[in-house]
Amino acid sequence: MELRKTTVHQTVEAVLEGEITAHQLIEKTIKNCSVLNEGLNIFTSIAGVDALEQAKAVDRKIKNGEKPPLAGIPVAVKDDLCYGVLPTGLGSAAFNEFMSPVTAAVVERLMDAGAVVIGKTNLDDMGQGSTTLSSPTGSTVNPWQAGRTAGSAGAAAVATGICMLAVESDSGGALRQGASHCGVVGLRPTTGRISRYGLNAHCSSFARVGVTAFSSENISGILDLVSGFDQRDAATAVCREGISEIIKTPGSEDMTIGYPVTAFDHLEPDLREIFEQVRDQLSSRGYRIKEIDLGLLREGLQAYYVLALTEASSNHARFDGIRFGKGRETDSLEEMYRQSRSEILGKEARRRSIFGTFLLSKGNYDRYYRQALKIWKLVRQHFEAAFNECDLLMLPVAKNLPRPLKGESSYLDQWSDDLFCAPVSLSGMPSLCAPAGQIDQLPIGMQLVGPPFSEKTLLAVGSTSGPRDMGESPLSQ
Amino acid sequence: MDNVTDGLEKAIKAIKIGVSSTEQEQLYLELEEFLAWLDPLLEVDTAETGQLLFGHDAVNVLKGDYPRQSDLAELQEAAPNFAGGFYLVPKVME
Repeated sequence: MELRKTTVHQTVEAVLEGEITAHQLIEKTIKNCSVLNEGLNIFTSIAGVDALEQAKAVDRKIKNGEKPPLAGIPVAVKDDLCYGVLPTGLGSAAFNEFMSPVTAAVVERLMDAGAVVIGKTNLDDMGQGSTTLSSPTGSTVNPWQAGRTAGSAGAAAVATGICMLAVESDSGGALRQGASHCGVVGLRPTTGRISRYGLNAHCSSFARVGVTAFSSENISGILDLVSGFDQRDAATAVCREGISEIIKTPGSEDMTIGYPVTAFDHLEPDLREIFEQVRDQLSSRGYRIKEIDLGLLREGLQAYYVLALTEASSNHARFDGIRFGKGRETDSLEEMYRQSRSEILGKEARRRSIFGTFLLSKGNYDRYYRQALKIWKLVRQHFEAAFNECDLLMLPVAKNLPRPLKGESSYLDQWSDDLFCAPVSLSGMPSLCAPAGQIDQLPIGMQLVGPPFSEKTLLAVGSTSGPRDMGESPLSQ
Repeated sequence: MDNVTDGLEKAIKAIKIGVSSTEQEQLYLELEEFLAWLDPLLEVDTAETGQLLFGHDAVNVLKGDYPRQSDLAELQEAAPNFAGGFYLVPKVME
């Protein structure tokens, strides 16, 4: 059974019907994973025996007449989500042996449904970045081109067919950039839909837990299983009485897709051409395309970084060698903090902590932080106004092709890569990244953004837009 | 000392990390570059948005309150020393 060529539904059916046991499926997955991981550096740890034990438990449930809805489905978990069985490294060398006492809510829900965790996936320094270039364990290689970054390792795990699903965090766009660069589908949900319990967030206001899969259908099949109220995350209280979903069916209902023309002016002509082709395809499939004005993208990106950095400076305070992280034995408490924190925080985390503290200092607070809060509000208003004119918005994901693994790129260039993702994070609206096309064999993704709780509409439209299948990535074998 | 140099030094001290002089010089250049990058943000007219604490209007949603009975015996067992209804801790004041 080739996971890349089947859907989650078909795989579960095969396991429930006894065509293959969960144990056999996971055994094969782990073998595949070990081979591919050597060249691509996707996983920081692989579950091995534990995954096989989980699979056996699923098989026992099936023998007892149960029908787990995700029986035997192999899942990758980003390493900033806690999972009690494997180390939770958080993208810091200081945490490579940290065993979390808790398991993230989204992982619990997947496991309760019969999914099997294969391993933890690579990430940037403390999860801050959309490239894995600052990972202490080295970058993840793009399965489409060996010299390029993958964006997110979870997307690479799905694109190579190692796992059928990946659960990942997304603050400024890591999940979406990864899906775009690896030619898969990634969903950043509405605020409050999926519990963040067990996520180590560097910026609490914008971090969300999302799902990456090979197709929109695969995400549709599991969305309800991972969504909903969780006592441990107050943001999910919006789901306590049930969600008012916005569900529109392409083909049977008139739908308008907003096309913010000026946004696409930021792209090189070859990239822009791909989106114009997708726009025309959508139009030929019956969607009404409406050119709209969506301002403040650049300022939204800047506001995101002011807010993300200030929140990171606060969130990183707990990594002091006492509450979190290995403490150094020194003569004074002050020196213990200094030495411990210097070891725990990598280059990117240090930069963000220092800049964030600077932005919150006297004088800078009003000049930058308060202004960023106001821009946050204005960006939300811009998106809300856009949805008065259209059902969904179409935006690029990445400004560039995936960054090369070698060669210097400035931190500011990397932050600027989030031009189209960070403003969507500020808006709080759900966003689906789906394949749009390819340049020089490298996949290009687009964002479909909708009003709150329109994920099912996004997934339905996503399944009918762009190329259905980009084929197999060259490094998947 | 200019505002950026002063602010940078204070920030490094406040977050309690060790920074070499070379790294501090590099951070100074990066911070100056970052602040220049933020210039367009400051030019946006936000007079109409008013004062606010958050970038959204959401009100706090309280979690459901489910009182649970603590198991006193279990808590006592976890404590190093317990007597007469009190948890005994080392004396910290002379």
